[in-house]
Amino acid sequence: MKFSPVLLEARSLAVAMGDTVVEPAPLKPTSEPTPGPAGNNGGSLLSVITEGVGELSVIDPEVAQKACQEVLEKVKLLHGGVAISGRGSPLELVNGDGVDSEIRCLDDPPAQIREEEDEMGATVASSTAKGARRQRQNNSAKQSWLLRLFESKLFDISMAISYLYNSKEPGVQAYIGNRLFCFRDEDVDFYLPQLLNMYIHMDEDVGDAIKPYIVHRCRQSINFSLQCALLLGAYSSDMHISTQRHSRGTKLRKLILSDELKPAHRKRELPSLSPAPDTGLSPSKRTHQRSKSDATASISLSSNLKRTASNPKVENEDEPIRLAPEREFIKSLMAIGKRLATLPTKEQKTQRLISELSLLNHKLPARVWLPTAGFDHHVVRVPHTQAVVLNSKDKAPYLIYVEVLECENFDTTSVPARIPENRIRSTRSVENLPECGITHEQRAGSFSTVPNYDNDDEAWSVDDIGELQVELPEVHTNSCDNISQFSVDSITSQESKEPVFIAAGDIRRRLSEQLAHTPTAFKRDPEDPSAVALKEPWQEKVRRIREGSPYGHLPNWRLLSVIVKCGDDLRQELLAFQVLKQLQSIWEQERVPLWIKPYKILVISADSGMIEPVVNAVSIHQVKKQSQLSLLDYFLQEHGSYTTEAFLSAQRNFVQSCAGYCLVCYLLQVKDRHNGNILLDAEGHIIHIDFGFILSSSPRNLGFETSAFKLTTEFVDVMGGLDGDMFNYYKMLMLQGLIAARKHMDKVVQIVEIMQQGSQLPCFHGSSTIRNLKERFHMSMTEEQLQLLVEQMVDGSMRSITTKLYDGFQYLTNGIM
Amino acid sequence: MAQVEKRGGLLRKSSASKKPLKEKVVLMYDEIFMTEDPSKCSPRFWEELFLMKVNLEYLEGKLESLDGEELMKIKDNINCLFQHCIQALGEDHPIRVVNALQTLCALIRGVHQKNKSTSGFDIINMLMGFDKAELCMKNLMESLDSLLCAEGSESLKSLCLKLLLCLVTVTDNISQNTILEYVMINSIFEAILQILSHPPSRREHGYDAVVLLALLVNYRKYESVNPYIVKLSIVDDEATLNGMGLVIAQALSEYNRQYKDKEEEHQSGFFSALTNMVGSMFIADAHEKISVQTNEAILLALYEAVHLNRNFITVLAQSHPEMGLVTTPVSPAPTTPATPLGTTPPSSDVISSVELPLDADVQTSNLLITFLKYSSIVMQDTKDEHRLHSGKLCLIILTCIAEDQYANAFLHDDNMNFRVNLHRMPMRHRKKAADKNLPCRPLVCAVLDLMVEFIVTHMMKEFPMDLYVRCIQVVHKLLCYQKKCRVRLHYTWRELWSALINLLKFLMSNETVLLAKHNIFTLALMIVNLFNMFITYGDTFLPTPSSYDELYYEIIRMHQSFDNLYSMVLRLSTNAGQWKEAASKVTHALVNIRAIINHFNPKIESYAAVNHISQLSEEQVLEVVRANYDTLTLKLQDGLDQYERYSEQHKEAAFFKELVRSISTNVRRNLAFHTLSQEVLLKEFSTIS
Repeated sequence: MKFSPVLLEARSLAVAMGDTVVEPAPLKPTSEPTPGPAGNNGGSLLSVITEGVGELSVIDPEVAQKACQEVLEKVKLLHGGVAISGRGSPLELVNGDGVDSEIRCLDDPPAQIREEEDEMGATVASSTAKGARRQRQNNSAKQSWLLRLFESKLFDISMAISYLYNSKEPGVQAYIGNRLFCFRDEDVDFYLPQLLNMYIHMDEDVGDAIKPYIVHRCRQSINFSLQCALLLGAYSSDMHISTQRHSRGTKLRKLILSDELKPAHRKRELPSLSPAPDTGLSPSKRTHQRSKSDATASISLSSNLKRTASNPKVENEDEPIRLAPEREFIKSLMAIGKRLATLPTKEQKTQRLISELSLLNHKLPARVWLPTAGFDHHVVRVPHTQAVVLNSKDKAPYLIYVEVLECENFDTTSVPARIPENRIRSTRSVENLPECGITHEQRAGSFSTVPNYDNDDEAWSVDDIGELQVELPEVHTNSCDNISQFSVDSITSQESKEPVFIAAGDIRRRLSEQLAHTPTAFKRDPEDPSAVALKEPWQEKVRRIREGSPYGHLPNWRLLSVIVKCGDDLRQELLAFQVLKQLQSIWEQERVPLWIKPYKILVISADSGMIEPVVNAVSIHQVKKQSQLSLLDYFLQEHGSYTTEAFLSAQRNFVQSCAGYCLVCYLLQVKDRHNGNILLDAEGHIIHIDFGFILSSSPRNLGFETSAFKLTTEFVDVMGGLDGDMFNYYKMLMLQGLIAARKHMDKVVQIVEIMQQGSQLPCFHGSSTIRNLKERFHMSMTEEQLQLLVEQMVDGSMRSITTKLYDGFQYLTNGIM
Repeated sequence: MAQVEKRGGLLRKSSASKKPLKEKVVLMYDEIFMTEDPSKCSPRFWEELFLMKVNLEYLEGKLESLDGEELMKIKDNINCLFQHCIQALGEDHPIRVVNALQTLCALIRGVHQKNKSTSGFDIINMLMGFDKAELCMKNLMESLDSLLCAEGSESLKSLCLKLLLCLVTVTDNISQNTILEYVMINSIFEAILQILSHPPSRREHGYDAVVLLALLVNYRKYESVNPYIVKLSIVDDEATLNGMGLVIAQALSEYNRQYKDKEEEHQSGFFSALTNMVGSMFIADAHEKISVQTNEAILLALYEAVHLNRNFITVLAQSHPEMGLVTTPVSPAPTTPATPLGTTPPSSDVISSVELPLDADVQTSNLLITFLKYSSIVMQDTKDEHRLHSGKLCLIILTCIAEDQYANAFLHDDNMNFRVNLHRMPMRHRKKAADKNLPCRPLVCAVLDLMVEFIVTHMMKEFPMDLYVRCIQVVHKLLCYQKKCRVRLHYTWRELWSALINLLKFLMSNETVLLAKHNIFTLALMIVNLFNMFITYGDTFLPTPSSYDELYYEIIRMHQSFDNLYSMVLRLSTNAGQWKEAASKVTHALVNIRAIINHFNPKIESYAAVNHISQLSEEQVLEVVRANYDTLTLKLQDGLDQYERYSEQHKEAAFFKELVRSISTNVRRNLAFHTLSQEVLLKEFSTIS
């Protein structure tokens, strides 16, 4: 809304600018694949970036430089001869335009990344910026208002996307296409689904404007390449096979998958790069090349496992397609999901899952990664026994934990060497060995005689005794703490020859204390195997898995988790994630303490994907079923009585998250809100999951859940009842949140609107989806009216018989409490 | 039986056809058995010989019929034949190779049978001649190695393995087979591994390869450095180890399946026949009948792998769909002939192909589960020697497993739950547990169940003392792990406690009989110390506080047994008999149990008196127990959580020697038929090529 007047005004102006840009177009041969104006612009623009690299740490200087040079060379080759050969004026124009973009580019970074500038060569940046500004003043006569907006500090990626989508002017589109290079990667990444959807479903000009940027980024990052390839596939799937547009998305996808966008430096094989980021895991003599081929050899599932190491042929093979191992990895995870779906019981599914994953483990470590993670890493192991099948009626989503080793750069770091499964070096295994060193003589007289170690046979079967002795000091510090807590170990009784007496009461007491101290764990339920796994505190789980892992001793070891969904369309989930993320940042910006937790989504295809699980959270259904308590009583049990600090902060968290999600549910019309789809985390936050029914779609269209959002009396009880302060706080938060969201409505609507292009998703069913969404922001209302609206919605939801009805319905049909 | 008849038939047939017209090959054999060099008159003699179909019976029979001196006379010719056999192995035409392999089999066997008493050196001399033996055997082993590793015919590989098995088992005591010295020097270990790691070759020859390896490992195990032991202990290639595990799992589950089939067959027939006379004696009889021939060779292979190779432990937990349910596994038992060439049935091969078969009924299992089931069958009946050996070996393997870190980790893994249907002996006083209601539990519960099952079912006159000791040791080792790692296993410990107490009762009631044969005090001491473990360290591994109360309840309830035990050991330790020392150890170990009994019994009696109750309920006793912990002091005993690690070298050497001897005989016997049937196969072979 804010920019719409400008937009209207600018449209006419843009024509002028568009002309200048389009002018050089006749120079290029028509068959040339790279878009002329964009290419030209890109060239000059990129040359600017090379200058600015020093300040722009966002773009890897080396890569950027190379990429720029490449593009420049290309441009020179294509146009250079023609341009110089006589047509002075177009060239000038091009140059003029180049200056423009140069100004903008240099002007912009300080605005964009002010913080970074402080840390880095601020002087250089400002001096160049000043120079640029001077230049801009020279050209100011030519400037349009729109251009001024584009150059202004306020022009952010959200606006860029909006103009890219709304503008019909190829010039503006091409301009913004180039402008994308100046934004931070993370900022653009957020809009990747929008960009790609536009690329696939909108006209050619938009596509041409976007493509250089996508290609550039694909060259930079393998993860970006993967995401692009997956999204392009997923968003193309709704189209008819025959359409030409379809082929555009598919073409780009093929290009990415064909590995032509390999980063240039990899081909050159910089020898200095490979040893540097070595994790110290793999022997340094292993070259970069070698480890890569090794990885693919081991990941390609059809190939024979054996003799890869000894077969010299493998090493001489060409560099493998860089995305192949990862795609293979994803494919096998999906295949497991498909096979699990055929099994009738949860128990069988769980067992099969564990056995399938244990086989998958044989192929790891490999050059594969989890795209949902926020850092570069290699997957080294899947602790298969920890995996659980999640609750679902007819599909088999499952949760796996994945051990990874963090690395500086995924491409250059070599794949870690495999460590056999039984080589656990944790304290647990050491602790468990008989204490051979200390008690040799002392125990000779006692009933259990000396452990037999000086036996030839044992020499090779029990070689961890060496390990034990090395790590002995560490063991001692560990076990000292334990001894004070637990029964006195037999060693102590031997040191003093006096008989040691203990009270039976102490043993019994320690036993009950021990058990009382462990946090309220859930009971194992074969029908709901995930409850126990999800209830376990994340930190504890990490520690436990680390102890049991042969890689656990490595400093860069990390644990990730991921839900693998097979047979589910996650594109709506991704949309919901984006909206949630946007709302989150809006509320943060407006300082409204609403709490929501967007969880990352990886769309793999139109019917499969991965979800980053919310840690330390179990569904309210599981809470109620396991504890057999009301929600309030559960809060009291978990956090303490009403007046304790812990309870109060949990309650506050609950209210803040509840308000946040109520707004989300209202704005997005999230349906299917039964207790299995609402999680409760260890700090008291609720988290809504499963956005399968949003906007225009609702489950089975039974017309249940007509209320604005789900607010049961149980929730209100946790908030302290209808008259409590917290309940008023809740309503106030909702109002503030709605006002804040309204202020930035465009940012939210834009996300949804662009995704509607060419989409067959049920959430876009009907023609009024966007209109209705906009209406829910109630732009025309005064704040008083809004307050009334919130009151009404809360009231309505409280009274809503349909919520209760729906819960009853869910209980009857799915057994969800 | 049928096999023997068939063999007889074959013999008759060949001998019948021999009389009127001697085969050419037989004529050629006769020439060899002359003192002259057969190639003198016909220079192409040897070349021709290997084109002829081998007549094993004749060749072997002829060798057997000669006495020592006669044999010495034709030594040169036999040496020559042996050498030419080895030469022929290198030739291109498979028929020659096949014939050479078979001739070698016959030669080795024939010469050995004749010279059972003579030393290994004489046999080497007879076959190859001392001077050439080394080179000869080197060539032989190299040829076999390349044949086994080559991409050649499967039946050739099979025959190579047969020859090797024949060579290895030709003497009763493997360590006296001096020729094996050359097999040690010229190792074929790598070839065996390759067979195991290649899914197709493993399917065909896995069984033979595993048995061969198990036997080779046992050659002069205790006297010299056996390279196969060294090599086996350091194998870490997962594909190979998995392959080995799969072969073992297949063979064991095949046995389990056969047993189950027989059992079902038997039950239906039995119950229809005797509807009203279901006496326990009859059931016991019936059970003996349905015993299936145990397979110690494969069990030995499992033992060696578990004992020698640390990495193999991971294979135990490696999941695979339940064996036996999957389409026809290939020749798991040596009694079944090898599959004819070209008709290899598609057998399950989970490890190599990631795609597990999509069968909803298939329950995933692993080698350990299969092994536990097998053990439960084998241990049911330990009356005959074979089964006693098998049962003992099962317990030894379990001992090794219970000592291993990694094995314990997955045994106790809360996330790896399985339903393990152990076989339970039908007994008078209990019903057969319904299989369906078994809960899914960590694997260690199945191990404990198996141990409890063993304890309660073997209290008999022929008391298997050794097995009992091992059984209690396994439980002890598991408890030590649980104590150290604070694993709180949700297990019905009560079953174990009452089983142990019953065992004590049995020991005491049969004191005189048992003492004549065994030192029952070692066992009694171990049992009492298990209780001490629970009493003093219960806080570290018991699942709930009430389980600790239950322990006390059980001890108090069964106090009579402990009282009796105490008076017995006291009596024997005060006498200056041979059991003085052993018995006094038990007396000391009983101190805490007696303290508990002496502490709580008066309290319970006074409670009963105060409340005027004659018979206290369990709940009431537990109440008294809970109220009176604080006034009870226990003595901390030494070394309860220490144990002696399993060691084969000294204590078990005799057992393994005996075991290997019986396995050798068994393999040899099965091989005899096998090599013959190979000929049928070779007919096909000749027509194909």
